[in-house]
Formats: sequence, structure tokens, C-alpha cells
Amino acid sequence: MLDIFTYNAHFLLLGQYPNGPIGGLALTLILALLGLAFAVPLSLLLALCRVSPYRVLSVPSTVLVYIVRGVPLVMLVFWSYFLVPELIGHLVSAFTTLVVTLVIYQAAYLSEIVRAGIESLPKGQTESARSLGMSYGSTMRHVVFPQALYNMLPSILSQCISTVKDTSIGYVISVQELTFSAQQINASLLTKPFQVFLILALVYFAVCYTLTRCVQGVEQRISRRRATGKMSNVRSIINDSVLQS
Amino acid sequence: MIQFSKVSKWYGEYQALVDVSAEVGRGEVVVVCGPSGSGKSTLIRTVNRLEAIQAGEITVDGSSVHQATLNLNRFRSRVGFVFQQFNLFPHLSALDNICLAPMKAAGKSRRDAKQQALALLDRVGLASKANSYPQQLSGGQQQRVAIARALAMEPPVMLFDEPTSALDPEMVGEVLSVMKSLARDGMTMMCVTHEMGFAREVSDSVWFMDRGAILEVADPQTFFRSPEHPRAQAFLSDLRH
Repeated sequence: MLDIFTYNAHFLLLGQYPNGPIGGLALTLILALLGLAFAVPLSLLLALCRVSPYRVLSVPSTVLVYIVRGVPLVMLVFWSYFLVPELIGHLVSAFTTLVVTLVIYQAAYLSEIVRAGIESLPKGQTESARSLGMSYGSTMRHVVFPQALYNMLPSILSQCISTVKDTSIGYVISVQELTFSAQQINASLLTKPFQVFLILALVYFAVCYTLTRCVQGVEQRISRRRATGKMSNVRSIINDSVLQS
Repeated sequence: MIQFSKVSKWYGEYQALVDVSAEVGRGEVVVVCGPSGSGKSTLIRTVNRLEAIQAGEITVDGSSVHQATLNLNRFRSRVGFVFQQFNLFPHLSALDNICLAPMKAAGKSRRDAKQQALALLDRVGLASKANSYPQQLSGGQQQRVAIARALAMEPPVMLFDEPTSALDPEMVGEVLSVMKSLARDGMTMMCVTHEMGFAREVSDSVWFMDRGAILEVADPQTFFRSPEHPRAQAFLSDLRH
């Protein structure tokens, strides 16, 4: 198995780069990063719309989130792959299709986390900001978001990590990311599917495990800061001495 | 300064405020008291439109509070509000809690806001706590920061909604003494409170409320010596026991 990996390592990690298009794990990471770069800001916007008192904002955003949450990712990919060119009249590259789909998909899930963070804040926070004469927008930006995002940071980050795995759906529309590369290797070897896909699993695992450990570091920092009393609103049950005694 | 005329409010079927008419004069200190559930907090929250009303009118310094055309943010910045639960922003230091609204709502520079905040912290006796976060402060200190925060917008009127009810007994005094010094400086104040000592010592007028209505308005001497309404008598005798 090791020889399969070493022989195909370059293809698995970088695709045909530099002699051809970049692929493999590198493309997977590019897809995930690009997706998140747009999904995170979009999710803040979506969450704002969801909690908005204006129905013109809250209803469409709620519908979007419910649709995305109620449909498998692969369906979304098919839709955008086959439907979008019909609608706009010209072809869109599989890469773009996948990025856009990931953005919508992740933004919907992230917005639910952000919304939960917003709604878990005590009502007194917005009341006191508004009673000082701060506008709705200013209250959101300076009082609500900093607290909601900070409280939800661990959940937001783990949702971000799952984006790495979600890029594997690109396989179905032939985006040459990690899973597609592994499938190509499998097709050329023909008789070693178990080994090839075990390697694939291990690569995903290594990446996600590393990122998860980083998130745990962030999480510990947050609960340490809360324990020293710098910031606490939602009391975490992690490191709770009463609970653990 | 604050006028209530025939103010009524319903929560569904339940009438929380019943035809309330009363007035707080400029520079006056009014204490609103009454049993819990009598509508005191609801009444004070209608003054800066944290609660809507369904009938009547409230005017503050000439502007009709519940009119749709009111510039709500500007209006609110002219009415200080202090909450029972302090509601400090936990992610900001005491200093930044005070600076936030002057910078973001009144457009002050950070330098001016900071200078003013330090002066206000000094006024409430917390100059040394400027960089502390709310969680590092005691309840009494948090409430004093909250008062300083409300004062930072330089409001001509201050509303206090049970400012000492969430405090341990030993911390009530420090908050009351800040409120007393405000009253001495001529601030127009409306306070919902159970601190009858404060009412007796500082207030110009006591309003007794029960079941959403103001049943008695009297100066504190009269109110505490010989309340007229039987429910006010019962309330005061309950307090003494």
C-alpha cells in the first residue's frame, strides 16, 4: 500500500501540476478555502436576514436555509451543474459550479450556527444598546456579533472543517480534487480499490484531524479566558468543576 | 418633563397599564413603587419605547414618544435607562462599555469619549476599574458602570428600573449613593424601586401603582405617614413586616 502511495503521491497531492492543471489534495484545499472565503461573510448576512424584523428579509432567507438543509449536497451540485447553464444560457466550469454550491451549502449551515449564537444572547444586551441610542445596525455590529461569533467560534470552525470533506462531492461533476484523483488512480490500477480508498480516507483524516486539533486549541483558549472572567455570557460546561466533580 | 396621559397597554387580554396619567417635572425625582406585577417596570419601559402602548400618549421633553415619525435613536440617547440586570457588554471593558454609544451613536472621537468616560468612572467611584471587564466587577460596581454608561450620552432624564433589586444587600448602598448624588445635581429621575429609604430621603413624589394603575401620588412624607389608598396602606404595612 505504501508503494501505491509513494508512486502516486504527487498526483494525489497536487494532480498534474506543474505540467497540467492543479488537482488532488491541493485543489481540495483551494476549493474549501475559496468556498469558506465567500460562505462565512454570506452566512453572517443570512443570519442577519433570518433574525431581521422585516419579513421581506426573514422569509426568503429562511426558505433558502430550509431548502439547503433539506436537500442532499449532491442534489444541489446536480442542480447547479445542469440547471444554471440552462438559466444563464452558457456553460459554467465544473470548478465554479462546485465553489458556488459549496458557498451556498456552507453559508446555510453556518448561518444557523450564527443565528443560534445571536439568539442565545440575553435580550438585555440589545435592549441596553438600543436604549443608549445605538442603531439596529450598530447594535448588531458592536454588541451582538462580537459576542455571538465568539461564543460560537468552536461550532463555526468545526463546520468549516467539514467543508474539506464536502469538496469530495466535486467527484460527481469531474472536478479533479482529491477523491477524483484517487478514483483515477484506482481506475489505472484496477485491482487495488481497497488500498487506494484507504489511502484516500487516511489523507482526508490526516487533514481534518489536524484542523480539529487546532480548533480544540481555540476552544481551550476560550474556556480559559472565560474561567479567568474576561468574557462570559454563555457559560460553557467544559472545565466546569461542579459538573466534573 | 415626562407626561403620561391616559396610557393603556395590553398583553393580549391582560391589561398591563390602565389609563395612566401623571407627570414628572423638570429636575424632579419620582419613585414608582407597588407590589410586584403592578406594572411599574412596564410603565418605565414605555417611556423610552422599550414597550409599545396601545392607547394614550407619553411625551418626554416635548416629543411624543410613541409617534411613528419620532427619531427613535436620537430620542433614546436623550433618555438614560438603567436596568435591573445591569446589562453591561461582557466583551468590553468598563471604559469601552461607556465609550461605545458616544462613539457609535453620537459620533464622538475615541479620545473625547475616553476622556469623558474616565471622568464618569471617577464620578461613580470606579476610576481604578476602567480596564476591568464586567465579570471582574461586583454587582454594585457593574451597576455603577451601567449608570456611568447611561450618563455618557448626557441625557436630561434618567430612568431606573429596579436598579438595586439584583444586588446583594451590602452593595445596595453604593448604587443608591450614586443615585442620590445625581438627584442632588438636579437630574430629572424616574425610579422604580423597593428602596423606601431612598424614596423617603431623595424623592419629590411617590407614585403607588397596583394592577396597572397609579392609585396614589403623594410627596414622600405624606405617603409614608398617612397613605390614603387602602392598597397603599396594605403595601406599606407588608413592607414594614
